[in-house]
Amino acid sequence: MRRLLKSPWLEVNVMLAVLIICYGAMAIISWGAETPAGGMSGGTIWLWLFGFFLLSFGIALVAVIGGIGGGVLFTPFMLAFTPVDSLIVRATGLIVAMFSGLISTGPFMRGGLASLRVCIFCAAAYGVGAFTGAQGAIYVAKNLGEAGEGAIRLALGIILLSLAVYFVVGGKKIEWPQVKKVDGFTKWLKLSQPYYEFSLGKVIDYPLTRAGGVLAAILGVGLLSGFFGLGAGWAIVPAQNLIMAVPLKVAAANSGVLLGMGDCIAVWPYLLMGAIIPMFAAPWLVGQVLGGLLGALILIKVRAGFVRYLLIGFMFFGCFGLLSKGLYMLGVIGPVPLWATGVAFVIIFGIITRSIIRYTKSEA
Amino acid sequence: MSIEARPKMPVAQIVFGEIVYWITVLSCLICTVGPLLSIAFPDNNVMNPHYLFASIWKGNSSDVVWKEVGGAFPGGHFYFDHLTKGDGFTQFGLALGCSVALWGLIGTAIAYFRERVYLYVVLSLWVGALVALAMVGIVGLH
Repeated sequence: MRRLLKSPWLEVNVMLAVLIICYGAMAIISWGAETPAGGMSGGTIWLWLFGFFLLSFGIALVAVIGGIGGGVLFTPFMLAFTPVDSLIVRATGLIVAMFSGLISTGPFMRGGLASLRVCIFCAAAYGVGAFTGAQGAIYVAKNLGEAGEGAIRLALGIILLSLAVYFVVGGKKIEWPQVKKVDGFTKWLKLSQPYYEFSLGKVIDYPLTRAGGVLAAILGVGLLSGFFGLGAGWAIVPAQNLIMAVPLKVAAANSGVLLGMGDCIAVWPYLLMGAIIPMFAAPWLVGQVLGGLLGALILIKVRAGFVRYLLIGFMFFGCFGLLSKGLYMLGVIGPVPLWATGVAFVIIFGIITRSIIRYTKSEA
Repeated sequence: MSIEARPKMPVAQIVFGEIVYWITVLSCLICTVGPLLSIAFPDNNVMNPHYLFASIWKGNSSDVVWKEVGGAFPGGHFYFDHLTKGDGFTQFGLALGCSVALWGLIGTAIAYFRERVYLYVVLSLWVGALVALAMVGIVGLH
């Protein structure tokens, strides 16, 4: 009982209580209210608001554990299944991408699973890259044409595919990378920071290396992210893990914090142009905060292997999207039907779920 | 392992985490209460929710939605003038949450300055400045 009155459960309980009271009151008011001519009935509005909250909660849970922005799941499905305008969807997608990262920042910073120095170091480079990319997009889009954009997407898809395959065969090396030599620049930055790993019950002190390399990589990721308006979680985690030797769970936690920080810059143009509509975006924000907090508490406790499998799933799915879109833009294939994307999603995550179950049994 | 034996986190890291966390919780509470105010008092909104949702589900662009339901888009920081309205209050919650990194980074820069870690003071202020410039409409990433 005492535990429920301590942080983080105290604020979770307060948020849940306010949520239940507000949505309960909204339900009563909505169903009793008269519908104005040409408007939507209160009951239907309530159903949409509550449905948005539930969907957002589920997306946030998975996104935080994988260290990706929830927008990767939200935006394509909203664009595919609803008639809502694409700018409104993309703007709300940023809210979905950032708030699970923002709320998970608290538990990650307190426990040390994320490192603020690594996050600020990467955010500085990401911000420059993304800004340059966004400005460059306006100029280059006129000269590059659709075929050029298709070729870049295809190249990204192939890079992501190679990374996903490396994550499959890399095993423990990926989860806990070994560093043989720390270079002078990384040592000067003082990025390493030990933390207590709950799943192993011991303190992990991880040396880092090649900070210059990760700076260049994150700059490149930011450039592409700003240029194409892509989410970047799928690239930030492997960049930290493979170049700088950040343990996988720490890289996923850092990525969440970094996305929250970076999207605080990216979201404002949408807010200032009116693409974020308060009543439409609010339930998504609330779902992200509650789901993201729960996801963060789970990530602190789960084993690194679980995170690796989840990331492999996201990488293969992202790769499917990039390759199919790239081939379509190059005129090699026709538009990929929605059912094919759905089938790819079900197959990839079916295999991932099976692998996670087998992994959990073998670790038990 | 006892809590005492676990590594102590740097002050700047705790400061950033706590500022971002608690402002996000506050923003979530505002965005939970805001829609209730909008539904309870539909006429006390910049955009009446009954017409707003009908317009969004028609596939209208944000410009058309604001024009059709609210007359015109009242500006990016419209919530300052409409805090007592349901959607104005909700938008305030959204804007507060979207600015949270700035407040966290200011706190972090102060903490690093007190620890004399000047490199991270500069990096924190640099990222914070990007958020601030985005808030006033000078920097846009997408």
